[in-house]
Amino acid sequence: MATASISLRDVGRTFGATRALADVDLDLKPGVTGLLGPNGAGKTTLLRLLATALPPSQGQVSVLGLDPEVPAERTDIRRQLGYQPQEVGFPRGFTAFAFVDYIALLKEQSQPAARHAEVRRVLDLVGLSGLGAKRIRAMSGGQRRRVSLAQALLGSPAVLILDEPTTGVDPEQRVVLRAVLAELARTSVVVLSTHQTEDVAALCERVIVLDRGRVRYDGPVTELTGQAAGRVWLADEPDPAASISWRTGTGRYRNVGGRARDDVEHVEPSLEDAYLLLRGGSPEHEPAQEAAS
Amino acid sequence: MTGWHLDDDMLRRYVERADSLAEGASAEQHLLSCEPCRARVGAAAGGTGLSVIDFAAVWDRTRDAVEVPRPSVFERLLRGAGLPAQEARLVAVASAFRGVWLAGVAAVLAFAALAAAFGHARGVWVFLSVAPVVPCLVVASSYDPWMDPALEPELVTPYPVLRLILLRTIAVLALALPAVLLFGLVVPGETAFAWLLPAVGFVAVVLAASTWFSPLRSAIAVSSVWLAAIWLLAARSGAPEAVLQARTQAGFLALAAASFAIFLVRRRRLHQLRPWR
Repeated sequence: MATASISLRDVGRTFGATRALADVDLDLKPGVTGLLGPNGAGKTTLLRLLATALPPSQGQVSVLGLDPEVPAERTDIRRQLGYQPQEVGFPRGFTAFAFVDYIALLKEQSQPAARHAEVRRVLDLVGLSGLGAKRIRAMSGGQRRRVSLAQALLGSPAVLILDEPTTGVDPEQRVVLRAVLAELARTSVVVLSTHQTEDVAALCERVIVLDRGRVRYDGPVTELTGQAAGRVWLADEPDPAASISWRTGTGRYRNVGGRARDDVEHVEPSLEDAYLLLRGGSPEHEPAQEAAS
Repeated sequence: MTGWHLDDDMLRRYVERADSLAEGASAEQHLLSCEPCRARVGAAAGGTGLSVIDFAAVWDRTRDAVEVPRPSVFERLLRGAGLPAQEARLVAVASAFRGVWLAGVAAVLAFAALAAAFGHARGVWVFLSVAPVVPCLVVASSYDPWMDPALEPELVTPYPVLRLILLRTIAVLALALPAVLLFGLVVPGETAFAWLLPAVGFVAVVLAASTWFSPLRSAIAVSSVWLAAIWLLAARSGAPEAVLQARTQAGFLALAAASFAIFLVRRRRLHQLRPWR
């Protein structure tokens, strides 16, 4: 089996006068890639491009060696694609099984017995065994999120695009989902966007940080975290030298960025620390050089 | 799901029904969600001399009986009309075929037809206002993202969107046109059929316009223009003959042909999300 891959060359996307993505160059191979960035950074637009839901305004996208602009090739891509949008509305009155079964039909799984077995398999994978007959409207937010993930997992796709898959999902289920995605990522390209840096740290070998439609960082998670080494420390008071400080559960202050004094207690940085540093130390900071051109 | 599983003793007691009520209920609850433990039930039953059953197959059939949705009345009708089962499901899923919505449409049509039957000239205008726009509103609701909120995951499947839209459109027309014709039987004179070509034209306009705008907005715009035109016509001439003229009817036929051609030319736009989404 050929190795699954995605490549983007000089890709941009505009909506009217708004530039959502600019100059994006990426090569994605099997494994889990995390997409981080503030709201409005272009994460959802990038995922929609990868999922063939949107065409780029400029540049070239290739998924599994196929061109999404060519109708026949786009259909071939979609046969090997799983996509969980950020928001999925469910048709009124549908049960979890009925919805996933409906998407399975659209995915050309026409043989009823095999299709039903596949629907059961993906519902089991996301921890919804026994809830297939439950109406989606009666489900919790986390359960609905898992229904939308289940439809993306149909057929164990070669490319899996997930837009905030763990939002609203409880910690126990998040761990289960991580195991599912890690297993699939042995052979598939899995790209997920999230605001949960702990998911990226626990699951992804590679992270891409988007800001104002441009790639700010693309590399191993460990490397990004390493950039914060020596720049995170604990103190009894907020340190004016730090870029950002907050009171932790122990009553001490975690200080990130800036210049630490010699006598402070340095701690192991987390991916969140590194992400905040990359963003300029503050969630509100917008680096001037990254302004959309 | 947790890392806990039934141990061999518990499983044996469960199979032999030698467990307590509470333990049995607990084991059963776990088996509901644990495929590996379910797979061990067969072996445990074999060891006790009970007849060996393919528990996996029994379990699958049980889940099918509980979980697989029954086809709706409309879906069964479509199957009866010769549509393959899977396509009947894809068509019937649309919100446009829900009972409440269809009942609402039928009520409006019934009101318009009764108004025409008993309200003389004014009633005929009411029927002429309503009848042609009903099919295009129902067609629009069969694939509008507002009515069909799962559009985004549907869109990125290999199933051709064009085929889905056309199948639903044909199903709507197969349902709506006979219904309007039926209600039209109580309308006096030729007016009972004057709505037919405008209706076909408006459906085609909505299909074409939906390659730019949302289907429902397109249908509302078309309906509004038609209502305004009918109101003006009624105010000026007071008789519906203008709509019945052969030239006018030919104009609606031309509108249908031109709009459908535009729809086919621009069909690629249907395969991706559009700004109106």
